[in-house]
Amino acid sequence: MKSINGIQFADMVKMGAHHLFQNADYVDALNVFPVPDGDTGTNMNLSMTSGAKETAAHTVDHIGKTAQALSKGLLMGARGNSGVILSQLFRGFGKFVEQSPTLDTKKFAQALQYGVETAYKAVMKPVEGTILTVAKDSAKKAVEVSETEEDIRLLMVAIVEEAKKSLERTPDLLPVLKEVGVVDSGGQGLVYVYEGFLASLKGEELPEKTVSNLLMDDLVSAEHHKNVQGFMNTADIEFGFCTEFMVRFQDGKKAFDETAFRNDLSIYGDSLLVISDDEIAKIHIHSETPGEVLSYGQQYGDLIKIKIENMREQHTELVGEGYAKETPAKKEEKHPYAVVTVAMGSGVAELLKSLGASAVIEGGQTMNPSTEDIVKAIESVGAERVLILPNNKNIIMAAEQAAEVLGIEAAVVPTKTLPQGMAAILAFNAQASVEDNKKGMTDAFAHVKTGQITFAVRDTSIDGVEITKDDFMGIADGKIILSIPSREEAATKLAEAMIDEDAEIVTIIYGEGVTEEQASSLAAFIEEQFEDVEVELYNGKQPLYPYLLSVE
Amino acid sequence: MSIELKNEFGQIDISQDAVAQIAGGAAIECYGIVGMASKHQIRDGLTDILGKENFTKGVVVRQEKEDLHIDMYIIVSYGTKISEIAYQVQSKVKYTLHKSLGMSVKSVNVYVQGVRVASV
Repeated sequence: MKSINGIQFADMVKMGAHHLFQNADYVDALNVFPVPDGDTGTNMNLSMTSGAKETAAHTVDHIGKTAQALSKGLLMGARGNSGVILSQLFRGFGKFVEQSPTLDTKKFAQALQYGVETAYKAVMKPVEGTILTVAKDSAKKAVEVSETEEDIRLLMVAIVEEAKKSLERTPDLLPVLKEVGVVDSGGQGLVYVYEGFLASLKGEELPEKTVSNLLMDDLVSAEHHKNVQGFMNTADIEFGFCTEFMVRFQDGKKAFDETAFRNDLSIYGDSLLVISDDEIAKIHIHSETPGEVLSYGQQYGDLIKIKIENMREQHTELVGEGYAKETPAKKEEKHPYAVVTVAMGSGVAELLKSLGASAVIEGGQTMNPSTEDIVKAIESVGAERVLILPNNKNIIMAAEQAAEVLGIEAAVVPTKTLPQGMAAILAFNAQASVEDNKKGMTDAFAHVKTGQITFAVRDTSIDGVEITKDDFMGIADGKIILSIPSREEAATKLAEAMIDEDAEIVTIIYGEGVTEEQASSLAAFIEEQFEDVEVELYNGKQPLYPYLLSVE
Repeated sequence: MSIELKNEFGQIDISQDAVAQIAGGAAIECYGIVGMASKHQIRDGLTDILGKENFTKGVVVRQEKEDLHIDMYIIVSYGTKISEIAYQVQSKVKYTLHKSLGMSVKSVNVYVQGVRVASV
């Protein structure tokens, strides 16, 4: 056969569509990309059917006109990604042969090639390992072969062969296919179309279904892939047992009818796959009652090759692995154990060190240390286990990141103020584990009240308090409660507001700009007002906050 | 503004830019899309197809209360079934965001800003 005309082409299209239709279910099942919704086969089939219908209605001897009809039908009926691509492939093909009454091998191959070029033009970022790749590889082969081959039939044999090979290679190009262990669904669809073309040229009938055991494995992988996507929690698995078995039909047993068989089995679970020939049926189902499924199968004949797996168990193992890594097993005492904290002011740093801090990172409000600063400070201590006290809510995040990148046992005690940090350090126990310390220290600072005196940088109103620039604001546990021009008065009033009958110890840390006399008089005032309270006084030399109060 | 997710370990912030990148990346892999178009064609002075480095200009991520809405401004190829391509973009973007960020999108609105006629 050296050339084909429109009538022959129409028959090729008809066979191609028919073959695709026969295998649409299988193509559906392979669908894992771009969205694993299992509709590629259905979509391609609908697209191709629309194309074949239009072709059948407008078949003429002139192949150019017949191909136009196919192109139009495909465009109108295009569904899904693969359907749209299919329509583009034949749109280019149709355009190329528009003026030709018949096609020889060279022209046919070039038309396929032109179709591929057209299809590639309609996408910004072609994804390889899909129907596009299969079309491209087979068209390239067609052009090569057509140089010397004059028989269209033999050319089509070469095209189908190459398309199949290219399809086999799709998992190497598209990782998701490899992961699941399937070939591309759209590419498979195109192979079916080409196989139909070939059958028509040879004048053969195609087998009703070309499903083999190999295909069953593909189907099972694809089906499981969809399941893995769907389940986040083991408890969500409704049908817990993956059940696979084969039935060898026997005379005298129930006669096998695939449709009825499917319908009956579908009540036992989901992910049902049935493949059968005259002698054997192969079944895959996810069911909660595998025993009943097997009993049902026995009505038709002997059961062979039974495999049942508990999917919940498998899923737990899968998920469990992730958790196991997070629990560190080491609890040795031989390495140094450090507390690293963040504070401003040389006096405060000394105070913290005297309480037990191994290192004090310079920083705080308006100058937050970076994660790197924290990591460096901890590394300089050379500790094997460390607790980090950020003493500022804006530093907690950086501290947590530092704890993660350190590679040693580390925990962050989320202290938001210096007094909280001081209380936490006092609760540190070198004999306890990092986790226990974190808990103990967090509990320890929970009942500490923090008072801060600082100055306002602009006029505003916060929490119902009118604030004037250069006022001194009293902040109790993060909430602004007063704002007045006199610093000493602000400190006194703040202390009054914070100290209640449960208070036992009040610590005053005075900072830059405050004299010892001024601080002492505040201490004296508190002792006078609240007899049960013990006052401690420290020179913290910290900037920004003339007074820091801690009430326990 | 960013999208916040909370779990027992803490908070996860995903910027709208990141969401736009993912949505845009998913869209340009869709067959039939030849490019993204700017939403504000006059303001940005970009009547042409956006390049790969600025395709997020063609993606608008909106958060209304708890719901996430995405607007995609696309340019498609002439001679394709545009309605089908738009549908593919919606489904791919929705799927990709769900898969990579675990967030479900309330709506994906597709605006076809242009059709490119291939110079053949």
